[in-house]
Amino acid sequence: MKNKSLMYVIFVILATTSIVLSSCGGVQPSATPTVQAVATQTPTPAKKVVTIIFPQEFDTLGPLYTDMWFSWTTWQLYLAWAWEFDENNEPFPKLVTEIPSIANGGISSDGTIITMHLRKDIKWSDNIPITADDFIFTWAMAVSPKNTVSSAYPYDHISSVTAPDPQTVVITFKEPFAPWLATIWHGILPKHILGPIYDSAGTIDNADWLKNPTVGCGPFVLAKWESGSFARFVRNDNYWGTPAKVDEIFIRFVPDAQKEALQAGDADLGTYIPYSDVPALKASGLNIVTEPNGYNEGLFFLDDSNGKLGNPALRDVKVRKAILLAIDRNAINRDLHFGLTNVPASFWDALPYYNNPPLVNYPYDPELAKGLLDQAGWIDSNGDGVREKDGVNLELSYGTSISKDRQDTQAVIKQDLAAIGIKVNIQSLDADIFLATYGEGGPAATGKIDIMEWSDGPVFPDADIYYWLCSEIPSNENPQGSNWFYTCDQQLNDLIALQSTQVDATARQKTISEINQLFYDKVYWLGLWQDPDVYAVGPRLKGIKFSGVTPFFNVVDWDIVNP
Amino acid sequence: MTRYLIRRLLQGIPLLLIISFILFLLMMNMGDPVATMGGRRVTRSVDYERLKRQLGLDKPLIVQYVYWLIGNDWTKVDMNGDGIAEVPGTRKGVLRGDFGTSLVNRGVPVMQVIGERVPNTLILMLSGEVIVILGALVIGVFSALRQYSLLDHVVTALSFIGYSMPIFFVALLLMFIFAVLFKRWGLPYMPTVGMFDPQVGKTFGQVLYHTVLPVISMSIVSLASYSRYIRSTMLDVLNQDYIRTARSKGLPRRSVIFIHALKNASLPIATIVGLDLPFLLGGAVVTERIFAWPGMGRLFLDHVSRADTPVVMGILMIVAVAVIVFQILTDIVYAWLDPRIRFD
Repeated sequence: MKNKSLMYVIFVILATTSIVLSSCGGVQPSATPTVQAVATQTPTPAKKVVTIIFPQEFDTLGPLYTDMWFSWTTWQLYLAWAWEFDENNEPFPKLVTEIPSIANGGISSDGTIITMHLRKDIKWSDNIPITADDFIFTWAMAVSPKNTVSSAYPYDHISSVTAPDPQTVVITFKEPFAPWLATIWHGILPKHILGPIYDSAGTIDNADWLKNPTVGCGPFVLAKWESGSFARFVRNDNYWGTPAKVDEIFIRFVPDAQKEALQAGDADLGTYIPYSDVPALKASGLNIVTEPNGYNEGLFFLDDSNGKLGNPALRDVKVRKAILLAIDRNAINRDLHFGLTNVPASFWDALPYYNNPPLVNYPYDPELAKGLLDQAGWIDSNGDGVREKDGVNLELSYGTSISKDRQDTQAVIKQDLAAIGIKVNIQSLDADIFLATYGEGGPAATGKIDIMEWSDGPVFPDADIYYWLCSEIPSNENPQGSNWFYTCDQQLNDLIALQSTQVDATARQKTISEINQLFYDKVYWLGLWQDPDVYAVGPRLKGIKFSGVTPFFNVVDWDIVNP
Repeated sequence: MTRYLIRRLLQGIPLLLIISFILFLLMMNMGDPVATMGGRRVTRSVDYERLKRQLGLDKPLIVQYVYWLIGNDWTKVDMNGDGIAEVPGTRKGVLRGDFGTSLVNRGVPVMQVIGERVPNTLILMLSGEVIVILGALVIGVFSALRQYSLLDHVVTALSFIGYSMPIFFVALLLMFIFAVLFKRWGLPYMPTVGMFDPQVGKTFGQVLYHTVLPVISMSIVSLASYSRYIRSTMLDVLNQDYIRTARSKGLPRRSVIFIHALKNASLPIATIVGLDLPFLLGGAVVTERIFAWPGMGRLFLDHVSRADTPVVMGILMIVAVAVIVFQILTDIVYAWLDPRIRFD
């Protein structure tokens, strides 16, 4: 009995010790003295703390090292882009005095050189000025083969970055590069912190700053990031811009119970809200905000120009158009998304400048669809409900990744297409498997799925695309090719290649409009719904606006009423 | 006893090697960590190829396993893609205590990633286990002593209800009632997620307060099954001759039940607890996800979904070691509970 009692005592001690150890974690001193003081103090109720829920935890806080939306979004708190984007997704200068253009001399006549002038008052939170050297260092780190950055794009299109003076950055591209405004200088690396690490270790992969960036240049600085639990940002007292109204931003990582936490008032802002949660959240007094981000959920067709892969029906534009006409897309948006989304007519739906003249959606017209299939020679001659031609059944595989929304959509589309004599075999796969490359034997990449569904868009807010380039068709020689549609339309290919080098906005708009019309006429893509960012804003949080590019661009204006 | 322990520990080494190889094989087929890098778009082909090379994921599977096991600091790595391995490897391998770095949280050592979560998991799991064992003992013994009474039937019915409810349902139900509805009704309400209120800070009291709902959710299901088990083994033992003898000798009822009956009834229970304890380190996947509790279960799920082999292998190997150690400890406890068992 004595030993048994001892065991219970040990249990209790272990549990208590764990709690104490864990609660001590919140007040561990951080590496930077200036932040230490902030991190160690216990917040008082009078403080204005905005609590945000992220359903996923960011994987790193270092720019260049991640493609996660949750990381990108956080950059507006403790970092700054050279220019950011407002609620209309229009750019405004942040670290620069003005956005380079041909008119202000910031872009050379041949479109290869961009000159940026930095603000003189910008500085890091440790009071070190931000200079052109930081920009040069950022570029150098992005293209260094010793760093495992998630993407070197678009820095690998740059041949040099120079600094005639500390406030001037001159970027020279290898060739004219149209999408520069949307793609470069998303977060600058502090050379004075990371430079010595790179010099000594030969890489910044293991630098503490990437996961603990307690020095930044945004309105807040990181106080603590506790894995799986939270990240706390406190107001940057050395911020060079307008100081933030709230004292802290507290991000909780809540994978499953975001709705309940918002309903219970345990958070002020919810992100990535599923459409199915919207009615309950609205009923609980939360404001639902949608912000276009360039993404559209859509169907992509396996249209092998070599005529080897997939069902031959999809190589006929009439069949693709029939599929488009047979799907009641408005019903999907109305019934599955509670009318919060709309059917996109164009791949560039969120970019009115490029979707110009704006395309008008094809109607839902199953009778017209049947007529088109008849014209194309696909007839149900044996009365089994499935059309056929030359001994081939109009039977298509339709794959996407696993998510409730997508599986519901698959079910609706299967039913719609069955009504016009097209049999659909549904496949739902883990995203990693579905999106695996040709080299990895991915089913979509290797041409094993006739109709593929995912959410995509141009390099928003730029119009650039590249998937449909003939050179992107995957093969043993090009196992990472991204043209999983195997479409090689020479006219489309030439236009896509051309637009990526057109720095002149007007000329580019004309090219994109031509591509847009080609997409529409040949039904290379079928839009199902605009896929905006969906936020739920609690009643305490005021002054908040969202951008589809730099979502938290106005974080300094956020305020808490009745804190 | 010492010889027995040494023999069992030595037997564990080849077992761990076999387990590690099988798990590694399985993990390498769990997805492609570079396919999207957590983003919404497929990784660009140039970046994809570079990352595969830099992270050593382009090597044959057996080579990757060898690097994981014994490191790659005895060879060189091609970082710039010119086909020439020019940079010395830096990994020491698991056998030298280096589990590598996370592919998701790039640059962060695996042991650091895991180490940050272990205390949180222990809070939840140990609290839950203590409540389950104590509660099940009370309910199980009580139910066995009053077999077929009204109370026994009620307890039995409740046990079956508890046992048949999935944890996610229990967790969401508790959260909805005690947080959402209580708040709506103007009553004091429980927190939904996390370990503390940011307005207050991470204090002992806050962590304890935030532990209540997840621990209850976890405990309900286990309590139901454990109590049924204890009831059954107690009933077996209570019908044994030696219990009848003890009673006829006039021993106090308490001694008969708690010293003679319960100790012997505990043998099979010790087996179950011994099997359960190592998995405490693995955390509670569902409970931790729903209550946003930063434990090992959530870590495991998050990193499996991103095919982060180093972290997942680290977690699985820790659990595998714990299973072996706790099995040995269970054998020792067996000998203590039943003097007939000998190690020689």
